[in-house]
Amino acid sequence: MGQVLRAIVEPGFFASGLVQRAALIGALVAVVAACVGVFTVLRGQSFAGEALGDIGAAGGSSAYLAGVAPLWGFVAIAVAAAGAIELIGVRHARAAFRDLATGIVLGFGFGLAALFLYLGTIEQSTSGEPVTILFGDVFLLDSSLLPLVAGFGAVALALVLVLYRPLLLASVSGELAAARGLPVRALGALYLLALALAVALAAVTIGAILSTALLVGPAATALQLTRRPSHAIAAAAALGVAAVWLGILAAWDSYYWPPLHHGWPVSFFVVTFVLIGYIGARLWSRRSGGG
Amino acid sequence: MKSVSLSFAAAVTALVLTACGGAAASRVGGGRIVAVGAENQYANVISQIGGRYVAVTAIEHSPNADPHSFEASPSIAQTVAAARLIVQNGLGYDTFMDRIESGSASRSRRVIVVQHLLGLPDSTANPHLWYMPRTMPALARELAAELSAIAPAHRAYFAANARRFESSLEPFQRALVRFARRYPHTQVAVTEPLADYLLRAAGAVLATPFALQADVMNGVDPAPQAIAYQNELLARHRVAVLVYNQQVTDTLTASFLAQARSGHVPVVGFYETMPEPGYDYQSWMLAEVNALERAVADHVSTERLR
Repeated sequence: MGQVLRAIVEPGFFASGLVQRAALIGALVAVVAACVGVFTVLRGQSFAGEALGDIGAAGGSSAYLAGVAPLWGFVAIAVAAAGAIELIGVRHARAAFRDLATGIVLGFGFGLAALFLYLGTIEQSTSGEPVTILFGDVFLLDSSLLPLVAGFGAVALALVLVLYRPLLLASVSGELAAARGLPVRALGALYLLALALAVALAAVTIGAILSTALLVGPAATALQLTRRPSHAIAAAAALGVAAVWLGILAAWDSYYWPPLHHGWPVSFFVVTFVLIGYIGARLWSRRSGGG
Repeated sequence: MKSVSLSFAAAVTALVLTACGGAAASRVGGGRIVAVGAENQYANVISQIGGRYVAVTAIEHSPNADPHSFEASPSIAQTVAAARLIVQNGLGYDTFMDRIESGSASRSRRVIVVQHLLGLPDSTANPHLWYMPRTMPALARELAAELSAIAPAHRAYFAANARRFESSLEPFQRALVRFARRYPHTQVAVTEPLADYLLRAAGAVLATPFALQADVMNGVDPAPQAIAYQNELLARHRVAVLVYNQQVTDTLTASFLAQARSGHVPVVGFYETMPEPGYDYQSWMLAEVNALERAVADHVSTERLR
């Protein structure tokens, strides 16, 4: 048993403070992203989630220019962009127009990110920063981020849990929810706020561009396995944490792999495990006649 | 932004040089040999050797910008097109110069690539050649020869300047020898390979693995094991000093600086380009070695040179 463990886990893994911190913050983020992500998948708003993450790159890079932690920038710009998407898209219930509005905001956000990353690289000599902002590195997270991550995560989780039943109904059938007198628009706006926070957390962990993988990947996988939303949320959280932890382990081990002996990016492994989980769930649900 | 500040600075450089030269020139160069240094440390040596017969422009001189990520602008292309003598580093450090030069072919232009001057192969991992003590004396002699070929009438003047330059490097070289004698095998942590040549010349031992240094220089995230190793060096006080690149900081290097401070390891900021104003190449190098000595001897940090 100990032999097997040693073969899988390279030396120093559990003792490393960097690993412990990464595992803790990564797990927190994975849980928040997965819980919010189940609603994202149910509401068919994966593209909005992707857009908020990408736009977050502008926030992360501008925060670096301003000399504050990138998480603040990610949160601020994701919330602002969520508001913009809501304002542009709300009068048009059609999904096609909603995606259009999202796409337009996304394009502008990426333009801003290009500007801020350029300024950061040229004027402030932050040559390593674009890679970190866009693709993330959970090992580089500062321990001072922990209370922030916990705080924003708690707000996002609280929003989803407090609004659980009405939000579920509005997500599955907007007409039915409206007929029952639920404030569908307000629910949608509050959900977008939770989404913005979850995406910002995911962006700071595995990078702005990859954040959507942690948001919708585990959620979509879980919804392959179970139809009950409460079960799906629990399964998605577990899958998300598993993907992050396995990713951290693989990144650690990759340092010892030939021929480079250099270490591969942790974000690559996280999204790889998310994809493997999704494909596995598809195959499993097809064989058992589910999907 | 960058191009505006660069062309402005180029204009200022030209004005200053014009004023120094005494001749009231109406156009850039004003009859003098137009020369370009890809980085301002090379431009500085050109102007010390060429003296009143050259008009020098530095392409890279911003203390806030990282030359590795520099992009050329049209005004720079104009300056390069007019130049008769160019000094660039090579080793992929200033490839933008090759692009500009190929955009304005000139038969009479002479280009000194410091890498080739020193006979270094392309596989040389550390491009920061101006921190090698043998680099600038070799460049000074080469400059005297090239300038004499362009303006044979001033051969004796250029040769005398080269000799004066070489002897003015002696305080720097003596400081290196003194440091190596007083503090032999000093363990040093670095964030980047920036000052590695100088540190080795000072007899120091580089405790930071080169893979980590290269990752920081190339702007990719190092492996967690490498980061943990560096943090250990600083936290356990296994190094006497942390040398970092004053012009290139990001989340990771900032965390190393914080780690050094909490571990009471003094830090010394080294520069990618020559800090201006107030320094020439010789006094800059001497100031860096003195800062290193203050850190090791008195545990005093020097984050920026004044």
